[in-house]
Amino acid sequence: MAVSVDTRRLKLTNEEGTEGVLLGFCCQECGIHVFGPATFCQGCSSSNLAQVELGKQGILYSFTIVRIPPQGWPGDVPYVLGQIELPEGPQVLAEVVDCPHENLKIGMAVELTLRLVEAAEGGSERVVYKWRPV
Amino acid sequence: MTQFNPGREVVVAGVGLHPFGRFPEKDLATLAMEAVLPALQDAGVGWKDIPVAYFGHVYYHGMSVGETALANLGLTGIPIINVENACSSGSTAFWQAYWGIATGIYDMALAFGAEKVPRGPVTVTPEESPERYIGGDHMMAGYALRMRRYMEETGAPATAFAQAAVKARQNASLNPYAHRKQEYSLEEVLQSRLIADPLTLYQCCPTSEGAAAAVLCAADSLDRYGINKERTVRIAAAVLTSGSYNGKGSDHSAFSPYRTEPGAVKAYEMSGLGPEDVDLVQVHDAATIGELQQLEALGLVPPGEAWKATAEGRTALTGDIPTNTDGGLLAMGHPFGATGIRMIHETVTQLRHEAGPRQVKNAKVGLAQCSGAGDVTTVHILTK
Repeated sequence: MAVSVDTRRLKLTNEEGTEGVLLGFCCQECGIHVFGPATFCQGCSSSNLAQVELGKQGILYSFTIVRIPPQGWPGDVPYVLGQIELPEGPQVLAEVVDCPHENLKIGMAVELTLRLVEAAEGGSERVVYKWRPV
Repeated sequence: MTQFNPGREVVVAGVGLHPFGRFPEKDLATLAMEAVLPALQDAGVGWKDIPVAYFGHVYYHGMSVGETALANLGLTGIPIINVENACSSGSTAFWQAYWGIATGIYDMALAFGAEKVPRGPVTVTPEESPERYIGGDHMMAGYALRMRRYMEETGAPATAFAQAAVKARQNASLNPYAHRKQEYSLEEVLQSRLIADPLTLYQCCPTSEGAAAAVLCAADSLDRYGINKERTVRIAAAVLTSGSYNGKGSDHSAFSPYRTEPGAVKAYEMSGLGPEDVDLVQVHDAATIGELQQLEALGLVPPGEAWKATAEGRTALTGDIPTNTDGGLLAMGHPFGATGIRMIHETVTQLRHEAGPRQVKNAKVGLAQCSGAGDVTTVHILTK
């Protein structure tokens, strides 16, 4: 049974972990959405939050090609780090895959994709949310 | 709206600095001591006069390092507080020292900071965090994201950013305390090793070790301690802010947009000064894009125009907005806990007109802005 990298941010919807949704919260007082865990609204501090499933389509707000990875990074180097804007408003930092570097463009449409990632050392494998060109 | 009403005028009476670089033979407490002693000497006060001390540092080198360092000077039993606010730990310690005096609790205070930053990319979240798998927690990658977006929105060429690095090295070549004094050309900066596109090695601050210290005193107590008024520098604003909602509900676990505007507004209001009054500025240039964006956030140049000001040489020592006059984080280096107080040291030195070859003409008002992950910002304004 596949395990999500962070069940507060990514909910897997099948056993294999090939399908899932990003989680967030919508404030019932002021209407803003946040990605990931929340107990109070980031904007107005209300506790009146409803958990929501966030959209699978996004826009590439910015990107960089990381050549020197942080310690513990289990993937390939270099890797593309994207800053993706979701339709509900929040931004997500995640790897962008299946895109030749020369095709990366601010404003391009991307969609959610899940990948099984083996730990760098001594950890277990996890399903991680990533983005790829539409 | 000001954060508090300062009840009392506070000055910087003395500053001290340990060179920035790598000092494997010295532990954290030793580095700290070697900045504190010159600061006490500069102020002309004794250790026994200090009623409170704040020590900024980030990385764990044992508990209560502030107490360990100061024990060497004598166990006086005063309150000593260790302060962590990421890269603005030192400036937060300074802010606390200021307000402790301004509100009348103390007449004098010591603020000091030190750090031994390990080599390699800097991350914010702890080792066991899911961020290790996700790859978003990478300090320079965060800056690179902002740089690419800025270039897209403004059309700024890579050379404008490289110019900030060239300037940093030029200033540092005139500063014996700097970690990276070697000068480079624009081409050498652009062709240095890529860290995270488009940031190249020389556009990123090095990881460093070092320490800085400042003695603050109430203006009404200078005579009592025999402090030379002529060399004191007035603290006109001391502001600390954390993240405020920016409309994006961002993935805040590691990526801080470093929003300085709210802090800058408060600092100008508190001091009664405006960006047009600032003669020189020290800003958080962990990467070249950082310098450009902080200049805009502080209102020193219009939004989207910092790259032009840099390319035109306006931020050089001889320009109209001298920025990071000692080399900044880029070339001084960035020992986290020390940096905020290093900015105070440089500002004080400039306002005393003791900066030698780095001296900015007619320096009367200096601004020091320092950021930390978690969207911490400090803005201090000093005047003479």
